[in-house]
Amino acid sequence: MARISFIQVRTIFTLFILSSFLISCASSADSRFWGKTQPPKDNILRYISGSEPESLDPHVSTGQPEARVYLALYEGLVEFHPKTMEAIPGIAESWETSADGTEYLFHLRKNAKFSNGDPIRAQDFLFSIRRALSPEIAAKGADLAYYIKYAEAYNQAGVFVKDSQTGNFLLKKDFADEEKDKAALETAVQPVENLEGASETHKFLDAPERLVLKGDEKARAKELEADANLKAAVAGKEFVPVTAENLGIEAVDDYTFRIKMRQPAPYFLGLLTHQLFRVLHPPTIEKFGKAWARPENIVTSGAFKVAVHKPYDELIVVKDPNYWDAENVKLDGIEFYPLEEATTMMNLYKAGSVDAIYNHTTPASWVEEAKKYKDEYLNLPEVAIEFYSFKVKQPPFDDLKVRQAFSLAINREALAEFRRTVKPLYDFTPEGIFPKYEEARQKVQAETRQEKNISQEEWDAGRRFNPEKARQLLAEAGYTVQKNGNSFSCPSFPVEKAVINYNTAESNKAIAEFVQAQWRQNLGITLPLKNMEWKTFLDFRNKVQYDGIVRHAWVGDYMDPFTFLNLHYSPQNQGATGWTDLKFDRMLDEANKTVDEAKRFEMLARAEQYLMDQQLFIPLMTQGTNWMKKPYVKGMYPNPGTLHPWKFVRIERDPVKWDTDVDNIMKVPDAAVDEQVSRLQSSQKTLNTTQ
Amino acid sequence: MLSYIIRRLIIIIPMALLVVTLTWGLIRMAPGSFYSGEKKLPAAIEANIKKKYGLDKPVYQQYLIMLGNIARGDFGDSLKYEGQSVNEIIRRHFPYSATIGIFAYLLALLIGLTAGIIAALKQNTAADYGSMSLAMLGLSVPNFVLGPILVLIFSLWLYWFPPARTGGVLSYVLPVITLAAIYAAYIARLTRAGMLEVMRSDYIRTARAKGLSELTVLLKHAVRGGLIPVVSFTGPALAALLAGTVVVERVFAIPGLGNIFIQSVLNRDEPLILGIVAFLSILIMIFNLLVDISYAFLDPRIRYE
Repeated sequence: MARISFIQVRTIFTLFILSSFLISCASSADSRFWGKTQPPKDNILRYISGSEPESLDPHVSTGQPEARVYLALYEGLVEFHPKTMEAIPGIAESWETSADGTEYLFHLRKNAKFSNGDPIRAQDFLFSIRRALSPEIAAKGADLAYYIKYAEAYNQAGVFVKDSQTGNFLLKKDFADEEKDKAALETAVQPVENLEGASETHKFLDAPERLVLKGDEKARAKELEADANLKAAVAGKEFVPVTAENLGIEAVDDYTFRIKMRQPAPYFLGLLTHQLFRVLHPPTIEKFGKAWARPENIVTSGAFKVAVHKPYDELIVVKDPNYWDAENVKLDGIEFYPLEEATTMMNLYKAGSVDAIYNHTTPASWVEEAKKYKDEYLNLPEVAIEFYSFKVKQPPFDDLKVRQAFSLAINREALAEFRRTVKPLYDFTPEGIFPKYEEARQKVQAETRQEKNISQEEWDAGRRFNPEKARQLLAEAGYTVQKNGNSFSCPSFPVEKAVINYNTAESNKAIAEFVQAQWRQNLGITLPLKNMEWKTFLDFRNKVQYDGIVRHAWVGDYMDPFTFLNLHYSPQNQGATGWTDLKFDRMLDEANKTVDEAKRFEMLARAEQYLMDQQLFIPLMTQGTNWMKKPYVKGMYPNPGTLHPWKFVRIERDPVKWDTDVDNIMKVPDAAVDEQVSRLQSSQKTLNTTQ
Repeated sequence: MLSYIIRRLIIIIPMALLVVTLTWGLIRMAPGSFYSGEKKLPAAIEANIKKKYGLDKPVYQQYLIMLGNIARGDFGDSLKYEGQSVNEIIRRHFPYSATIGIFAYLLALLIGLTAGIIAALKQNTAADYGSMSLAMLGLSVPNFVLGPILVLIFSLWLYWFPPARTGGVLSYVLPVITLAAIYAAYIARLTRAGMLEVMRSDYIRTARAKGLSELTVLLKHAVRGGLIPVVSFTGPALAALLAGTVVVERVFAIPGLGNIFIQSVLNRDEPLILGIVAFLSILIMIFNLLVDISYAFLDPRIRYE
């Protein structure tokens, strides 16, 4: 039976095609809305949220389907702006930042409450972040919090090294083995101007960073073996485990919370919107242990609380009267439907059984039809890219010219047209997401052109679709492309070492075949395609076991270009190319130490330029949001991550006020939402002006 | 007879353990892990996860722990759905699949037997050709095509039934029909073939010669013999129907066990896979036993010692 089911899973995609044909026959283009369009009886939004949430515990999952739900149930120090996704005040009504950017002091609002009525205090944030970082909880997203001082050490169960005689701890800066580390340390952890308060914790956190070694004895022995200096210095010293109390967070008083960083990270505030940093109710967790998030036990901190949870069927949340801003929460509740079958979603949407769907859900074959419904179909650029990585340590792609040739031989405009919902991409950070950064990038690119003394046309010719130059580069690399009539051939190219690898999905296959055809047409090279089941593919890619080219997609974790550039930062090395470069790492480090935003973006743009010059990958596209909502749902925007802070969302019963022409939805003011956002922001603005 | 049944029941336990062990070995051989995702985890976080779930222990120890848990009837907690036990997940989702499965089974029997018997009795007539053509259509149209077509007609044009999700009797109509179609077609063809063979056999001629009415011949003698192929088909078929089918469950968004089973494999959720495999294998073995027992009632020639 299982075998049959697998075949069925594969063939189920055929269903999309078939039903799209049927539906397009069925729909009448003259009607203004797609299917039944009537606001629901109750003031309850019905939303399809993707796969079944792994858990209602926000420390467990880093996924998007969960994030959509957590946004209703939990609030953090800051919350997403419904349109731009930048951080706006959440439970913290305002905050201060130290001049060097390594310290934040949050002022919590005094009327915030959990769903059981308990007040939310700084100590609860202390508990929550300690829990998120504890090795026992093993949170998958814990590394997002590694910017907090000693967070990485605690999460990895590391140890400090203490001299029992003097009582002093060894310091990290004394053992920095590379210049780069030293430079970073010198500037990073200088105690600059103190933000208010000088508790023992604060003094400890302001002191120079201690040396941290691995907690596991075997691993530590290995670590010491590799560094003779370190081994000598450590001999005879005591190892003190890093504890939760050492973390760079402090509850200064009930309503003041401090975060001390190990390095400046200007995007950190945006990162605090992540589910990992949302506040949990300590007594519930202490009482119920891992069963705390079950519907019968759960206590939440967001605008909504759990009413019913039927896994794989529905999660119903209702407005929480204890929420501090309850009077501005417009919905009485939300029904989340965990669904993954795109056809089923479209059916429910057309039948008027759901009001909105999550992103990337309109099947490619339906997009043309969906676009006709201008009041409902939302496709704006997303903070997500798709690219093909090269295995740069193995021929034929160890040669820069070969890599450049393959990049130049893809017509990305045509690819974008073929995919319908995406935008062509020539850089590594997405287009149309970070406007200020893009300005900086254009400036840097203009400067590069000036340095190299080349015109805009020459510059584009070196980056965009240019099959002639591609063939020329290939020839220079030793693979001559022959012209036979209208077609090309390149018999000497080792295609068996240049496979296009992707994870099994109809859309990935379509893209791979398109790219394959481009290369066949423009270079005369037909690369083999290889698809793999998702988890198998991940294993294969992470270990860089593939030959040739591997598909990669990335959704930003936070609203800053660093969330993309970080992929090729050696300590992360997510790019799966096998490439590391200390120069690039240093460029990123330097940029992040810069507090001035414009300057920092320029430095990042230079790093991106440097990265692009290596051509480790072929950027293919900036993803589009690609989802639908009924026009009567207001305050819900195609923001770059399609994550909706639910308290801004409402159901409008007067058809005159419904959303129209949603391509412009970001520009059209909505008094209710705008007023609500500016009221929230005002507390932070007041603080900034009084400073 | 009783000792036969007891013997068969005892065999189920080692068989289920064997199936679980084989499955466990296959999961361990499959690349990828339950915690892998688009983002490559830092080594330290991976180590934390392995420690939390006991994956840092030697493999033989993990195997023994797993067997020990199963012996106590406890498959442990799902790796994917933190804080939910496997037993709880099976208990919660099996009823959805079983409800649809039983109704689909009954519907398939009703349509299949009626069509099959009529076709056999009226061999080579319009009724025969008509019902067999329908059966052929039922066999050839896969349920992932039939489902959406039914939704299109009855949900999006006529607004008679909801297009997906469970809630109220109406929501079960389309999935039950979709699921039943192929089984009804099979049953119709098997019934027709079985009945045709039986109707020509000696004991039917004898029954007729005794002067029994055609209806008595049919119901008392022919149907019992003619149904044996149907029974040997519907036994395992009922087990499969109860266990849930991924396509119908996905198309109609039914929180049944079939879809969860497939998801558990894709998620590499080892305890959940093992739990469902053990549950389904026992279910199938019991249904096979029931089929074997029913032979004895249908065919007087079959005896179990």
